[in-house]
Amino acid sequence: MKVRIRRFDGQKEWWQDYEVDAKPSDTVLDVLNRIREKQDHTLAFRQSCQMGSCGSCGMVINGLPALACQTRIGELKTESIRLEPLYNYKVIKDLVVDLNDFVNKHRSVKPWMIRKNPEELEEAPTEFKVTPEQNLTFVQFDYCIMCGICLAACPTVAIDPLFLGPQALGQAYRYIADPRDEGFEERIDILDDSHGVWRCHFAGACSYVCPKGVDPAKAIQYLKKDILKYRLLHKKRASTKPAELVQKAPPPNAPKPPPFDFKVEGGV
Amino acid sequence: MGEEKKEKRYKSGLLRSLWPYNFNVERYTYTLHRITGVILILYLMAHVFEIYHVALGPVAWEQTMALLGSLGIWEKIGLWIIAGSALYHGANGFRLILNEVFGMLLGKPVLPEYPYTPTSLSRNQKIAIYLIVLVVEALWIWAGIYLLWGLGII
Repeated sequence: MKVRIRRFDGQKEWWQDYEVDAKPSDTVLDVLNRIREKQDHTLAFRQSCQMGSCGSCGMVINGLPALACQTRIGELKTESIRLEPLYNYKVIKDLVVDLNDFVNKHRSVKPWMIRKNPEELEEAPTEFKVTPEQNLTFVQFDYCIMCGICLAACPTVAIDPLFLGPQALGQAYRYIADPRDEGFEERIDILDDSHGVWRCHFAGACSYVCPKGVDPAKAIQYLKKDILKYRLLHKKRASTKPAELVQKAPPPNAPKPPPFDFKVEGGV
Repeated sequence: MGEEKKEKRYKSGLLRSLWPYNFNVERYTYTLHRITGVILILYLMAHVFEIYHVALGPVAWEQTMALLGSLGIWEKIGLWIIAGSALYHGANGFRLILNEVFGMLLGKPVLPEYPYTPTSLSRNQKIAIYLIVLVVEALWIWAGIYLLWGLGII
């Protein structure tokens, strides 16, 4: 079988062809490992669990973003395979992409439990119960393995690098829908932004390619509905910038801070 | 040079965002929605410019009408494309409002089970899309016949 791989060495890009013996039951990741073991040890790609749990081996297989460990050769039904790094990401080497922006977007929506009284997270006054029915409202979005495939499929991410993207927005909804979380008002200015939920035009490609059935497109549409409802009921306008990002300039006559003291207390 | 290439995002940009090949039907509707939206904006700008000639007096207006008349069948083809764009953009926009504002046609959150068929892209969504395509096609064909009849071709 012919395998065509998009290579990048930090300087130049090129397509490289390999001939590999592959059975229909082999995964694309098996084929890549075989190439690296027997033919070309310079080929770079990520992998870890080899069972669709870690999300490391996301790449574009025959034009569609997918996990290499979950894609079998027989499913592709083609004579050759074309492998590329994930679209919309900066490439580090060959099939390895830079996930820094992706992780920062994820972090920016505060994907953790928020309580109005933060001390409750340290010392809970009582057990925070979730019924099976309540659990069903968010557990689907909890299945995200952060593979980044959804951003490679998203047409909006292709034109707006600052768009939060389906993964981060899906995770924001996962916590907002959780009855134990009270952080909707804390997150709303981040989500209700020109690079937030309204940049999504529901192409649905994220849900189509998601290897875990998370359906981030659905989560984003639910977020839009919730934000609209909140704005209408509370008549609050979205600020142009999240409050924590607005840096107040010091007054003109403010005293200058003392120079930093490099001496370590108590010695080294 | 090498640094520049490293900073560039792989296969990103406007053309990539409009290229739906290999993806789901919703992504095709997205592309068509963008393209028809641009056609309608261009038409509205041209239409405002056309109407503006009324303020310049009857001579300017007559000249504008004569210019449009000189386009012959191309004017009608242009109008037909604009009619199709308006029909599709309106109908698909209505579907998107149902999705985005009312959360309809999306299904409820479910426990994902292999082979992971997303409910937001499942039966209800597909029915809405094919219904839109059917109605828009029918009305667009009718608009084409009407324009040809106006030209005396049929």
